[in-house]
Amino acid sequence: MQASTILSWTIGLLLVLLLAGAAPATAAPPPAADVPNPGADLWRAVRQRDDTLWPARTQAPRPDDAVLIDPAGEHFRQFRRERFIRYAGWGLAGTLGLIFLYFVLHGPIRHEGGDSGERILRFRRLDRILHWVLAVTFLVLGLTGLLLLFGRLLLIPWLGNAAFGPVAEIGKWAHNLTGPLFIVALLLFFLRFVGRNLPALADLKWLARLGGLLGKTHPPAGFFNAGEKIWFWLLVLGGVAVGISGVVLDFPALVDAARQPLRLALVVHGIAAVLLLAASLGHMYLGSIGMKGALQSMISGYVDANWARAHHLLWYEKLRGRR
Amino acid sequence: MARMKFYCDAERCIECNACVTACKNEHEVPWGVNRRRVVTIKDGEPGERSLSVACMHCSDAPCAAVCPVDCFYTTDDGVVLHNKDICIGCGYCFYACPFGAPQFPENGAFASRGKMDKCTFCAGGPEEPGSAEEFKKYGRNRLAEGKLPLCAEMCSTKALLAGDANVIADIYRARVVRRAASAMQKGVPFQRATLAPQPDLGGKASASE
Repeated sequence: MQASTILSWTIGLLLVLLLAGAAPATAAPPPAADVPNPGADLWRAVRQRDDTLWPARTQAPRPDDAVLIDPAGEHFRQFRRERFIRYAGWGLAGTLGLIFLYFVLHGPIRHEGGDSGERILRFRRLDRILHWVLAVTFLVLGLTGLLLLFGRLLLIPWLGNAAFGPVAEIGKWAHNLTGPLFIVALLLFFLRFVGRNLPALADLKWLARLGGLLGKTHPPAGFFNAGEKIWFWLLVLGGVAVGISGVVLDFPALVDAARQPLRLALVVHGIAAVLLLAASLGHMYLGSIGMKGALQSMISGYVDANWARAHHLLWYEKLRGRR
Repeated sequence: MARMKFYCDAERCIECNACVTACKNEHEVPWGVNRRRVVTIKDGEPGERSLSVACMHCSDAPCAAVCPVDCFYTTDDGVVLHNKDICIGCGYCFYACPFGAPQFPENGAFASRGKMDKCTFCAGGPEEPGSAEEFKKYGRNRLAEGKLPLCAEMCSTKALLAGDANVIADIYRARVVRRAASAMQKGVPFQRATLAPQPDLGGKASASE
């Protein structure tokens, strides 16, 4: 063995012995003081609302008043300011952008052969009235809702606080009063149209070809194709979500005006509303400039025979077959 | 500039609700609204504590952050106030406040709550200080007269402290130290208690060794 190796091993051994020898010399750490701090317990209970162990009482009348500190308020603030406004804004802008892109690249959907001149009744007057009442209430609610969500960010820099206040107040009243109207309109709409929106086998085939985006030919569809049916059910389910949360928000006495149920209702309301709005953008696009003949069907109720044959072949054949 | 804050000393609060009554009377607060409230924890049991809470005038106020019409503002003294003319009564500030400070005078259908009302640190509102208009909407403006909030001034045990944060913190710190010293000096009165070494402790910091 080399001298340097022996030397380093000796030093190492000496160090180990030194440390081992030194260990018993330092006393073992004394046991931690086991005295509970009543102050810490008090403030922990105040913050966690531990009603069972530390019940709180107050003479103030609201049901929430016995709660000293409610941390969930901060969750709500963070949700609204740091996540919801941001994601909703970009989500809606992105949806608009995608639709615009599709319009620029693909253009309006046309049917083969153009119009034949022969008209078929598609939507009776009742259908159209129900649709437009629902559409108008939806638009009023959507626009006033967006006003309350984005107004501070986008409109106050233009109008100033003093001018925006009354605008927002009118918006809030329009929103809160139109809400129940929307629920009634949705219920009637659902009852009228649910029969034509039940899933069918043709829908699977239609979806597999993405409604004709994939492949050469247009897949056949019934009265409503799968895309329309999906929109119907999204609207109904989303409408139930905004409706129920909206009723809670419109009548806080239902939950004793307690904070947590109202916060939860507002969060559900906002998320469902923004999802509905995004989907409705697609619907409104297709129903106006996105497809030739679509808007006319909901205004006059009539569609061209070629249009029907191209987009809703099974419905067209059933109509013809009956004759 | 002073940064105005409240502090309620849980050791001293006796739940007399004088602060609640003083505030409600002085500002002629609407029916059903209690700008300040007293909450008692472990009522009737050993370790019972009471706290008086109203608006805490947060430096980063959640109410101001969530307001859809941005009707809140913070004065130079750090007091968080709002403008009732702009307020639309949506209730978001009430959802966001951890202390439940925002209150609403009405409980009507279609979420008609009226305008939000809350503790103003006796600093009124955006109207002309001391005017009748300001009193009608926001209550008395004591800060403009150089006075401190009435709740703290009225507190029977000086549990509720209000004023510049540094001054408040100093008062409370002195109380905490003197309480501990009083306990260690076997119950010497608060005013005479001190942590300085005493002859009868034999130079030891604590009598329990």
